[in-house]
Amino acid sequence: MKVIIDFFSRGTFWDVLGIFFQYAVFLYGTSLLIAYGVLAFLSLGSIRRYMKKNANADYNIIIESPLAPGISVIAPAFNEGVTIISNVRSLLTFNYPKFEVIIINDGSTDDTLEKLVSEFELVQVDYAYREKLLSKPVKRIFKSTNPAYDKLVVIDKINGKSKADASNAGINVAIYDYFLCTDVDCILDKDTLIKLIKPFMDAETSTVREVNGDMQIQEDYKRVIACGATLRMVNSCDVDEGLMIRVRPPRRILPRFQEMEYIRAFVLGKMGWDRINSVPNVSGGLGMFDKDIAIKAGGYDSLSLAEDMDLITRMGAFMTDNNKKYSVKYVPITLCWTEGPTTLKVFGRQRTRWGRGLAQLMSTHRKILFSPRYGRMGLIVFPYHFFYELLAPIIEFLGILFYIYLILTQQINWPYAIILIVFVYTYSVMITTIALLWDQITFKYYKTWGETIGLCLMAFLEPFIYHPLIVFFALKGYFNFIIGKKHTWGNMQRQGFSQPKRRTAVKAG
Amino acid sequence: MWNDLANLLFLAYEQFSLLPLFIEIALILIFVAVMATLIAYGSILFRRYNSSVYNKRLAHLSPIIEDLITEQVLLNENLGKDIPIEEIHFDQKALSNKIFRKPAVRQILIDTLIRYRKNFRGEVGELLRKLYIDMNLVEDSFAKLRTFKWETKIKALVELTQMDIPISDSMLLPLTNSVNPTLRAASRNAYIQLSKNEPFKFFDVATEPILPWDQMEMFKIITTTKDITIPNFSRWVSYSNNKSIVVFCLKLIAYYDQQTAIPSVLELLGTKDHRFRAEAIKCLGKLSAEIAEEKLVSMYTSQPVNCQIETLKALGRIASGKHLEFLKNEFLFSNNFDVQMNAARAIIRHNSQISRLMLNEIMETTNEENQLIIRHCQNPLIKY
Amino acid sequence: MPNILVIDDDDIMLKAIKNILNKDGFNVVTATDGKEAFDLLDHTIFDIVITDLMLPHANGLEVVGRLRHNQGNRNVGIIVVSSVGNEETITEAFRLGADDYLKKPIMAGELLMRIRKLIANKNSKTQFVTKKK
Repeated sequence: MKVIIDFFSRGTFWDVLGIFFQYAVFLYGTSLLIAYGVLAFLSLGSIRRYMKKNANADYNIIIESPLAPGISVIAPAFNEGVTIISNVRSLLTFNYPKFEVIIINDGSTDDTLEKLVSEFELVQVDYAYREKLLSKPVKRIFKSTNPAYDKLVVIDKINGKSKADASNAGINVAIYDYFLCTDVDCILDKDTLIKLIKPFMDAETSTVREVNGDMQIQEDYKRVIACGATLRMVNSCDVDEGLMIRVRPPRRILPRFQEMEYIRAFVLGKMGWDRINSVPNVSGGLGMFDKDIAIKAGGYDSLSLAEDMDLITRMGAFMTDNNKKYSVKYVPITLCWTEGPTTLKVFGRQRTRWGRGLAQLMSTHRKILFSPRYGRMGLIVFPYHFFYELLAPIIEFLGILFYIYLILTQQINWPYAIILIVFVYTYSVMITTIALLWDQITFKYYKTWGETIGLCLMAFLEPFIYHPLIVFFALKGYFNFIIGKKHTWGNMQRQGFSQPKRRTAVKAG
Repeated sequence: MWNDLANLLFLAYEQFSLLPLFIEIALILIFVAVMATLIAYGSILFRRYNSSVYNKRLAHLSPIIEDLITEQVLLNENLGKDIPIEEIHFDQKALSNKIFRKPAVRQILIDTLIRYRKNFRGEVGELLRKLYIDMNLVEDSFAKLRTFKWETKIKALVELTQMDIPISDSMLLPLTNSVNPTLRAASRNAYIQLSKNEPFKFFDVATEPILPWDQMEMFKIITTTKDITIPNFSRWVSYSNNKSIVVFCLKLIAYYDQQTAIPSVLELLGTKDHRFRAEAIKCLGKLSAEIAEEKLVSMYTSQPVNCQIETLKALGRIASGKHLEFLKNEFLFSNNFDVQMNAARAIIRHNSQISRLMLNEIMETTNEENQLIIRHCQNPLIKY
Repeated sequence: MPNILVIDDDDIMLKAIKNILNKDGFNVVTATDGKEAFDLLDHTIFDIVITDLMLPHANGLEVVGRLRHNQGNRNVGIIVVSSVGNEETITEAFRLGADDYLKKPIMAGELLMRIRKLIANKNSKTQFVTKKK
């Protein structure tokens, strides 16, 4: 009541605006926190469902089965000469009966290709290459003369300066119905293919209705178009020739924060979305896709800075445009370990790119936002990303400015302000801790309790150290997006290509 | 004393109720968040403690269990002497070890036995089963089957089928129609494996689809279970209304090369769903059904691309040589790359004198792009 | 005493085979992955190698292929023991030089019989006696 009375008795314009803003920010903040809370619940349901469903699944059956669908593993490589041999060797040892490994040498300037050729006894083959998806020209295609490596295909192409471009070339060569997109320097679990193909094979197939004694096929099944799994940092893990020996949270502080952030984003975010069939994105580090749909949707966009989410969005839009039901699945187990940036410079470049990518994505696919035609994607996924991912850094930044204004003009109600800050702080610590707890349900990745608790404690530091960085880099990304758009409209392509890519950024660290 | 406390609480509440609403909410949520965080920490530590206790126990028990199995089964003196398994007896003293009375230990024992069963069949496999029965672990499994939790029921079904223990129809059949897809699949699998006289009974009544993953499991069970009577699957191809069962039967027909099923598969070519039709064409190809060739070629032009490609593959498999000209024309004049590839492969697959001559002729006369396709398809290093 | 190397990533299978073969008078060395196997093969000469197909670090086909190119172990008898039932893979294994193939679950007696047969064949072909370096 007091607030309202004050509002009328004082009543200057700035006060009105101030109070309005205060309430708007409070409402926004509360709804965001509620959304996180809801996601936490959904995610628990989703994880438990997965665990129960697969507790007794005999994954070995698929290894022996002639009915196992084929999978093409696509991994672009750019100047990976140092590690390429052990990494490819590791990719060739998946537990799976029917797969091929397609390595795309994306115009490396080092000895990546030479090493591959001599180690795997490769020869150039006459290959009838057909460009279904756009990419820079493919120069040569190699196969091994050693039958032990008959699963390996190596593509040598002109550098397209993006992972998307290289992946497209790989998809063009892929012979199987599903493809797995990954990075050649990621450490993958041996059972990755089995675990990721299962959700595709668990999809409800069409049911039959009898009409006038005729067999009538109703096409009302949900086709799984993509499936992802959680990622973690490889930084302090023990890896032996591409094989994960021992998982540890990173020792250095920056990747350590990232590990925590990834767990929260995957376990709480993706798994929560999975429960209500609204997974927004399959991460670029590891994802399996239905090749047919991916090609029809146009494959990866080499101009996009968020090519992974862009692909999922277009695949989803394609399905909706053709009146077909679909779903994107996530499995709550970590199958892929990736190198997190360790220096602020590289990290900043990565996050600025993500920020820019998100802004670009939202603007490219703006017709989907709030469009009931696109179902969950238009009414849940996009609005969520618009308000709580895209706008969050902006609102947060404005909020801080407003606080500073209040402090300077001595209008601030300190006790209330502190209560609100403590509230947001404790809530964020709670959400992160819950995410780490859910993560423990699926699999105990860390060997000691010290490691686990050590990671949990990062949640207390996050709001002071890590979070401001993320907000700053996201804003920088948005800024670049607006500037980039204005100044290089006619030359978007060059601008896009000259951006440091996430993959190279990861390598540099 | 109590009054003071009550007064204090009342005062605090009065203060609290004077605060603006959003501050009140914030205060409550701070309390909730702090409690939730503490509980989360508690559960993380508790879970870890529990699992470390379990692992220690496992580390202690595994050698005991493995020794038991090694001594009683693997190195059993009576193995390899043509003594019937029923007459081989275990050392009762080793079996009656007190440790094997605890339910948790018995569960580990069952799991270990199953792992061994996956690696060994024959005498050793039979003896593992006998150990499972003699130690009365069957009762443990049946007890699990009677619980209400579906995931526990599945565990029981898996154990019983792995150990080849019959389950009565009255217990199993209702489960094959369960609303839970995972339980349904597990019980269908168990049914096929355990019901020796009529393993495919539920095909007649199944209304829910058999998912691809379940098809794979079922396929394995059908093709590896001993003394299973393989019926003529054309029965369901003709009469089942369940599309997934028909598709599954097509795969089984191809696997068992049931030539007598060709007429009923041919009937499917008239179906409206093109994916369904493609499966039927594929099946005919695998059966090398020469009789189907004319029909396939005559309906070819009206088909969507996926059916066309399946037709080309089928013609390559049948390889009668009657339609080489047709394949050649498709290769030379189709403007669909995949059609060209498959036509080329089909010609190569004929591997007859005429087909080789035809390829030579094509290579001499056609353009470079087409030559590349043929070289691609002929290269033994490229499988597809 | 004939030397046998068993490669499998399932420790239960390794222990079991080791026990069974030891009882019948074979000297058994085990490896759980391709790399470990290659290290052993570099230093030791074996009479028989029993390998699974799905292995960490190197698949079983690679093990088979390498063995046939390995100076010391070129004449070794190779038995592939795997749950893979896929015909192409089996053909490939034989093409690379496997002598025998057993599908899991295996029969212990059959494995023993095939090992003995392979050793007998080998001895009739070659005169020199293999020994540990």
